[in-house]
Amino acid sequence: MRNRNATAYRFLTPYLLIFAVFWVWPIISSFLISFQATRTVPWRFAPAFNWGRLIGDPAFFNALKNTLLILVIQVPVMITLAMVMAVLLNSPLLKARGLFRFAFFAPVVVGEVAYSAVFRLMFNLNFGIINKLLNSVGLPSVDWFSNVTPAMALIMIAVTWRWAGYNAIILLAGMQSIPEDVYEAATLDRVSKLKQFFFITLPLLKPVVVFCLVLSIIGTMQLFTEPFLITERGGPGGGTETLGLLLYRQGFRSLNFGYASAVAYTMAGLAIAITLVQLWLTREKQ
Amino acid sequence: MATVTLNNVVKRFGAFEVVHGANIDVKDGEFVVFVGPSGCGKSTLLRMIAGLEDISGGEIAIGGKVVNDVEPADRGIAMVFQSYALYPHMTVEQNLSFGLRMTGNPKADTERRVKRAAGILRISELMDRRPRKLSGGQRQRVAIGRAIVREPQVFLFDEPLSNLDAELRVQMRIEIARLHKELGVTMIYVTHDQTEAMTLADRIVVLNAGNIEQIGAPLDLYDDPANRFVAGFVGSPKMNFMAAKVVATEKDVAVVELLNHSGARLRKSLSGAPPAVGADVVLGVRPEHFGEAGEGDCDIPVRADVAEHLGSVSYVYANAGPEELIIEREASRQRASGDHLVVSIKAGRSLLFDTSGARIR
Repeated sequence: MRNRNATAYRFLTPYLLIFAVFWVWPIISSFLISFQATRTVPWRFAPAFNWGRLIGDPAFFNALKNTLLILVIQVPVMITLAMVMAVLLNSPLLKARGLFRFAFFAPVVVGEVAYSAVFRLMFNLNFGIINKLLNSVGLPSVDWFSNVTPAMALIMIAVTWRWAGYNAIILLAGMQSIPEDVYEAATLDRVSKLKQFFFITLPLLKPVVVFCLVLSIIGTMQLFTEPFLITERGGPGGGTETLGLLLYRQGFRSLNFGYASAVAYTMAGLAIAITLVQLWLTREKQ
Repeated sequence: MATVTLNNVVKRFGAFEVVHGANIDVKDGEFVVFVGPSGCGKSTLLRMIAGLEDISGGEIAIGGKVVNDVEPADRGIAMVFQSYALYPHMTVEQNLSFGLRMTGNPKADTERRVKRAAGILRISELMDRRPRKLSGGQRQRVAIGRAIVREPQVFLFDEPLSNLDAELRVQMRIEIARLHKELGVTMIYVTHDQTEAMTLADRIVVLNAGNIEQIGAPLDLYDDPANRFVAGFVGSPKMNFMAAKVVATEKDVAVVELLNHSGARLRKSLSGAPPAVGADVVLGVRPEHFGEAGEGDCDIPVRADVAEHLGSVSYVYANAGPEELIIEREASRQRASGDHLVVSIKAGRSLLFDTSGARIR
């Protein structure tokens, strides 16, 4: 048996080497870099330099606030919307189900730059279709890019548009794994469709919902594309700057790798902490 | 309690007809078993009675009231599913009471019904457990309990024992029979297992490819099957069928020659006119109806291939030409494989069928 294991590991060695060099080492390396002052030559070990700055940096707290705000508002809205879409997709009355599934999933495969450009056009102050629609029902135009609140709303709308269908497909797969005869038994028990959803579908879908929430939390903590491309690098005036954007700005604009690494580890730590709290809150109570 | 009447019931899935005009009258308090091979339409028929499948044609009445357009919950039925269909996230108590709680049944009445069902099924000590912590037999009890709390007029069982092991199946079979006796309600039970059908039913409905082949009491089907399908389906091990030809006829008598058994001939008395001389027929003999050499009306030599010794009896799987025969023997007369033996057929314990499978009486 030991011999067979050795053979297996010999076959695995090329992969393990690549894995160690390009995955494990960067993780360790960036953690070590976060304890170094990287704007001096040579870099020097200064544990409090980056982490100390983090605690007192208004830009960090602004980015953290924006990220958490998006997390708290956008994620629940998106998961609720995804659930509604999944229920509709699961309906036996729906015709052309395959087409709808594809349509809902399509935003994920659309290029990020292309979709951001389209969103910028759609929400343009002067000729965007969204403002035209608002005007057509008697509402004034909204300057989505110059004011913080509409800009944040725009980010949330864009992220929701992009990921709701993806989550709906995951939820749909979960729904379809619930045996049909459980619903038939409930129908014979005179339980209405609405109650079946709340008392059977939702509890049985809980692990899948938790999975979607965890994915969404991790995704939102890393949010970068939309504030970078749609609201032009976290504009207006840092109003939509997220932790991901701050990391990018520090690491690749200011070349302050130590501080960027500290931000990255904070993001990862927060994602893990929020996920753990959420898993604890939704744990199976036996 | 209620009668269940199926009047020319048809089921189509698209253009494909799976039930072709079923007529069944289930009496009040009767235990009727639908039996047949997989895909014969028995579960579809049951689901139509439950209202889980639409009826493509004909009428279904429960308690004298046509229920074609009545919602499943309003038909006064309860159903036990093959997979149990328990709510996995609820405890046994919640599983039993769920339907009643959701429909606003008074709490005291719900508790009374749940307690009664738990008492009947001896699951009181399992009330706080979730289904995954229960054995197959216990889950089945909970599924039956969920049906009992509804206090239905008719119980429907859809292959409820097929997921259980052999020993538990026998035990649950007895429990269901006891339950029927205790509750006295109408029960319709679907199974592909003819032993379950024989042991549980007041009457059996034998289905094949969407047609009702025969309806009758278990022993009537065993003794007097209407056709070759029923003869072969009812009884275990199944009836032997031997190719034969009518070589002579007299009034009410056909003399048949067994084609694969060295020209052995048997005089078979009939109540009707015999088939024409030269007609191909099939002779059916149950394994337990073969006699020792010379005991019957015609002897046939066979070679034992395999012998299964079950203690009280043995089953000899014998080859005679292209036909394999199953012969029941008392255990003291065990045979080893390769033995040659001679068995006899009694004309009175054999059945004659034409080539289409219809019985020649």
